[in-house]
Amino acid sequence: MYRSSLRHLARSLQLPHRNVIGLRFYAVQTPGAPIVEVFNNATKWAQKERAAQNVELSRQVDYLRDEVASRLSERLLDIKRDFDHVLDLGANACHVARMLTKTNPDDYSAQPVAEPLASRIGRITAAENSRSLLYRDADLDFNNKMEITRDVLKSPETLPYDAGTFDAVLSSLSLHWINDLPSVLAQINSVLKQDAPFIGVMFGGDSLYELRTSLQLAEQDRRGGVSTHTSPLADVRDIGGLLQSAGFKLLTVDVDDIVIDYPDIFALMQDLQAMGESNAVLGREGSGIRRDVLAAASSIYKELHGNEDGSVPATFRLIYMIGWKEGKGQQKPLPRGSGMVSIKDVLEGKTEGPKPDDK
Amino acid sequence: MKPRIRPIEKFAAAVAQCSKESANYGKCIAADYNNVSKDKCVNEFMKLQQCYTNAYKKR
Repeated sequence: MYRSSLRHLARSLQLPHRNVIGLRFYAVQTPGAPIVEVFNNATKWAQKERAAQNVELSRQVDYLRDEVASRLSERLLDIKRDFDHVLDLGANACHVARMLTKTNPDDYSAQPVAEPLASRIGRITAAENSRSLLYRDADLDFNNKMEITRDVLKSPETLPYDAGTFDAVLSSLSLHWINDLPSVLAQINSVLKQDAPFIGVMFGGDSLYELRTSLQLAEQDRRGGVSTHTSPLADVRDIGGLLQSAGFKLLTVDVDDIVIDYPDIFALMQDLQAMGESNAVLGREGSGIRRDVLAAASSIYKELHGNEDGSVPATFRLIYMIGWKEGKGQQKPLPRGSGMVSIKDVLEGKTEGPKPDDK
Repeated sequence: MKPRIRPIEKFAAAVAQCSKESANYGKCIAADYNNVSKDKCVNEFMKLQQCYTNAYKKR
């Protein structure tokens, strides 16, 4: 009876008979934490691969990543320490490694030229999930100036390294495509040695707000609704909490805006595409932006945000974060209520602040 | 062989030729950008569309 009713079911579902005999129903446990998924990792990988295929064009749009990588590696100057093994997570085309091998400061600066930062670094492991992008500059000169190991990651969200491997972890302009940022930050904390720093930078907050608003207004007028064309980004105030919950100590978070002028919206979007930074939000329109919306957005961008000379600015907001893994002998914040001088009195000039030597 | 021009580049060049229409449309939206509804500036847009479609065909 049971079997015949199943057969009946199979016929109505047009399944072959033998599949139904092996039919099993499993209980599925609901996962504890919700799985956050905003970006399509496969799409992002394909975009980076595609961008790196055109080597010449891809190198033309290195200006932003190179600049940010150099500002990031400058932060290493503040740490008087040698690093034996450094991880560059989400390396893109190894921009950080290239910047580390440059003499410091720039050749045209009046300051005395110091040794490149690479002299303080034993070796660097560059991890990235797009093979073509990672190996794009593998035959350039800077590769001979320091020991670079290139690791192609299977997933940008899983670090295949043992705990306590690295003396420092750097990450430049790739964390903004991570779905599960708390998990990745916790993994970074785990692969660091004790009392070792993580220094990262990602796009955040108001990045590309001109593009975002123009596209929204254009779609509102042309189509009567808005769809997602720019990523949701983390805000500065989120970062502190994220780092803290990942177990980092002695946090520093700061913000830097880079405004770049483009001839028009098309030039901006072409450059973003060539960087492999096109839209990869889940549930985006597969067909891309319609032509009429593009033309409308171009006009609105110029009118609302344009410069007097006809160019249009694009703002990139960079969030830099530094966190240290807990370790022995590390500075700790003093316990609550242990302050002896009122900051109010100091600011109002009633009392002089404590001198550095009277502790 | 001529280098391939991406259609989007051709389109961008066509839109760039319509600066007057483009500015008119932009001004119409920007005049009250907190209250944009569908087809708020449809007349201005139609002129812009006419212009860039012609420019696109010419090339």
